[in-house]
Amino acid sequence: MAEELLRKTYQVRGRDFDKAGETATEIKQILKGLDIDAGLIHRAVVIAFEAEMNVVMYASEGTITFVLSDEEIRLEIADKGPGIEDIEMALTEGFSTATDEMREMGFGFGMGLPNIRKNSDEFDIASQVGVGTTVSAVIGLDSSG
Amino acid sequence: MRACPTRAIRVRDGKARLLPELCIDCGSCLSVCPSGAIRATTRSFAEIGEFKYKVAVPSPALFGQFPLALSPTHISGGLRRLGFDAVWNFAVELALVNRAIAEHVEKWEGPHPLISSYCPVIVRLVQVLYPDMLDQLVRVQPPRELAGRELKRKYSEELGIGRDEIAAVYITPCQAKTISIIEPAELGKSNLDGALGISDVYNDILALARTLEKEATEAFSSSVNCSAEVLRWSTSQAQGLILSRHRYMSVTGLANVMQVFDDVEKGKLRNIEYLECHACWGGCLGGNLTVDNIYVTLSKIHRLLSELPDSDPVLDAEVEGRYAAEDFSLKGRIRPRTTEKHAGGLKERVRRIKAEETFFSALPGLDCGLCGSPSCETFAKDVAEGSARHDECVFFSDERLKQLRKTYLASRKRPPEGRA
Repeated sequence: MAEELLRKTYQVRGRDFDKAGETATEIKQILKGLDIDAGLIHRAVVIAFEAEMNVVMYASEGTITFVLSDEEIRLEIADKGPGIEDIEMALTEGFSTATDEMREMGFGFGMGLPNIRKNSDEFDIASQVGVGTTVSAVIGLDSSG
Repeated sequence: MRACPTRAIRVRDGKARLLPELCIDCGSCLSVCPSGAIRATTRSFAEIGEFKYKVAVPSPALFGQFPLALSPTHISGGLRRLGFDAVWNFAVELALVNRAIAEHVEKWEGPHPLISSYCPVIVRLVQVLYPDMLDQLVRVQPPRELAGRELKRKYSEELGIGRDEIAAVYITPCQAKTISIIEPAELGKSNLDGALGISDVYNDILALARTLEKEATEAFSSSVNCSAEVLRWSTSQAQGLILSRHRYMSVTGLANVMQVFDDVEKGKLRNIEYLECHACWGGCLGGNLTVDNIYVTLSKIHRLLSELPDSDPVLDAEVEGRYAAEDFSLKGRIRPRTTEKHAGGLKERVRRIKAEETFFSALPGLDCGLCGSPSCETFAKDVAEGSARHDECVFFSDERLKQLRKTYLASRKRPPEGRA
């Protein structure tokens, strides 16, 4: 049975492009301070960053829960927002509902959800249109970087 | 101690100590230390005297340091009079590197942005604090290294002596480049044999060059041809002209570079193709071994540039010929400079960071530095790791305050009673 070692919860504000990415950076600092393998940190940061950006770009607010156990890193991102109409489409590389403004800022390449899935060992996504979306990703500590 | 961007300095028992694995050679400490405890590393001229043939490789930053009445030709003449057998004009190497970088940028598929790699502090910064970005450093040799390589090849052939009998000495605007010559980041051997700071040779060159001003200068007219390229390289926009069709950004000053790197790390700025970065504010002209005020120098550079043609067909022909024939890629890997791994399993490490967080919340958060660590955050980490004791903080120990008084005030006169 995995023993939970560390749990942190972060609030993310929708449309706050100024602070976007700060949660991912904090998670990175924690993992670095714990001497976690660099490859695992990279995967966790990609997941956290992409998920955080989705909340900022589309939702009104969201929560990122980061849990470290002796076996895995778990990230759960739950937001209040428009939700996703077609999850299969959203998971397709290159598909994006980003606005032109967002693209000019350098976001919206359509790789967010695919990148999260690619970097996790276990991936789950659920959504309700008009309510919000929940994404969960797990990285096994003994998996490769 | 607080100026250090990587928190590499601690003060214990009144003495400053360096954590070498965190040092990026930026010299921020050197610029601010009130007690002069930190000094720059450069070679002495006597050590260079052992070589048969001594060639000076002046950083482009040298030419803007002198009064405008002294042309680059005079300045090089001054260097010759100082004892150098030749002064290398590395206009060609600068142009070659610019082309190599442009080619790299055009062919690079990502991850973006590419980062300039000829400022050694920037390379160290990435090694220590941003190791995930090491692959983004442009793998092209810095111009000073190419200059060393080429001059040794040329003079060894022309004079029939061995390459190791030729000294290539860089005239440097900063001590970081000196260190990069003594200890290259790629862990190979530098093509240069040492460096002299611009501030070390300034007075001598000034005196010598002034005597030349009065003499006929035909003897020196062919020795240096200072191209527009050379002058532009001393500013913060060395690649600006050649990459103007690309998404190019220039950042100077260590704090600014770190802010930009933090953004890159988060995944922002992915649409920038090339980041030209200088640790010194304003580029190499702002180096800590330069002499003149950077704004005055920039104004001189602009004047000098206005008197030079934008391009030189002779130079261009040489660049064309050498570009096809030579290899400019960086040899050797640049590895991350990781700090010591902490002992103990994961549970132990989590326990330690929780202890660090708890202790940190008990601290006043003033970053006063009296404990010997640069900030309360760093002190909490040091205590959790066992390299500092909690009672080194004056807020927890009167004894500590008494001890500090003894260390710092013993040699000072007491202020008169009753007055501030």
